[in-house]
Amino acid sequence: MTRSLPDQSLGPEWTILELLARGIIDDSEVQMVRDLLTTDTLKWGELLEQALRHKMFPMLAHQIMSASLRFDVPTNIYMHLESALEWNRWQIEVFRRETVRVAQALADRGIPFVVTKGMAFESTLYDSLGTRYMNDIDFMITPRDRDKVMTVMQKLGFRPFFDWAKDARREEISSRLNPDHLPKLAREIDQPGIRLIDIDIANSLTWTKSPFDVPVEEALENPVEQPIPGMSGVNIPCFRPIYQFLFTVLHLFREAWLQKFVESGTDVGLMKFGDVIRLIDRNQNKLTDSELLRIMQTHGVTDAVAWVLRHMDETFHTHAVELLALEKHGNEKLLRSQMRSPGYVNAWSESMRGRLQSKSRGSVRPVAPAHRGS
Amino acid sequence: MDDITTQFEECLRRHLRSAKPNPINYDVELVQLGLDSMTAVAVLMDMEKTFGIRFPDDMLVEGTFRTAGRLKEAVQLLRERQAS
Repeated sequence: MTRSLPDQSLGPEWTILELLARGIIDDSEVQMVRDLLTTDTLKWGELLEQALRHKMFPMLAHQIMSASLRFDVPTNIYMHLESALEWNRWQIEVFRRETVRVAQALADRGIPFVVTKGMAFESTLYDSLGTRYMNDIDFMITPRDRDKVMTVMQKLGFRPFFDWAKDARREEISSRLNPDHLPKLAREIDQPGIRLIDIDIANSLTWTKSPFDVPVEEALENPVEQPIPGMSGVNIPCFRPIYQFLFTVLHLFREAWLQKFVESGTDVGLMKFGDVIRLIDRNQNKLTDSELLRIMQTHGVTDAVAWVLRHMDETFHTHAVELLALEKHGNEKLLRSQMRSPGYVNAWSESMRGRLQSKSRGSVRPVAPAHRGS
Repeated sequence: MDDITTQFEECLRRHLRSAKPNPINYDVELVQLGLDSMTAVAVLMDMEKTFGIRFPDDMLVEGTFRTAGRLKEAVQLLRERQAS
């Protein structure tokens, strides 16, 4: 997908992260990142803070090391970045083994499932470099298998995460009220530096009672088998590219459009958009034929997908809306909206770029009075 | 059983912005008073703390708190169960 170089109005720190998030694709971008990282005015504190906020610390570390900038970076910062990258690689290795353990147990019982998000993307979109941060392992199942999967997970030693949560009852009530996921599960392990492994099992591509959804049973049909790096002959099932794209985009939409994620400080970050950009780049042929558009129209999710892609194009100077022929979808009213609660949509005037960079997103409130949404 | 109306309404008003200046209409859906998925959790937790009850899993569904009337009935039922 073509894209122009980002403008630098938000400072060199932010420009570096935008370039890394969307993926470096040519020599001019390599040089631009290099120049920005070695500029005298670079604020390392700001760069590191934003890299942490957007879960890009290992990616930044890898970029600095692969560009041989060892002596252009303050020594203590370089050493810390190096450690962070190594630790992320170690965590991914531990997560891979656990993913296979859970996947084999589910497959043994004939339960349809796929592995999603970080673990699925790390090898296919991020070249197994250990740069994609993930704090848990994600699976997708159908709602009818919720009880069977809980039984399997308990046999594997997992317990609801409530046991470790700061406010167990809050977590428990929240989980019961939102049955689009199983309660978050965790297991104590005995590995250096990693005390717990969290597993997040969804049974919806979006959220309970979402006006935008794709049936999970349909999405799970004909998964692709994806090799696990470093484990010869071992594969995990993942969504085929069209549903991988739809899930990733709709998941981003969920985190960005629902006000509750903004208020809890867990809404969308640069890397979520980075996943979408990479998915399009690597699956362009499969995403630009008529099947994707037909599926989106069948399930009425075209406007939600257009919401994400239009914000993405505005922020990252990509051309995804045009590429996927969605110019006529995603109206202005929806684009400038955010859902507060079922039936109520707030107006929202901020740009996605400004929102991503803001460090006080949790306190942001809509500027226009609430009105009944459609 | 004591009348819980005052405590119940105080509890709702702590979390629902639109309920604060007005009398609470027990038939109106709580989403119209500003309830969303986050405040729903906060309201239920506050009800549990205020009335010394615990919502069982089968009551942790949207129907329990669709309106103030439904929620008050649920709270009263749980208080009665606990007392008996």
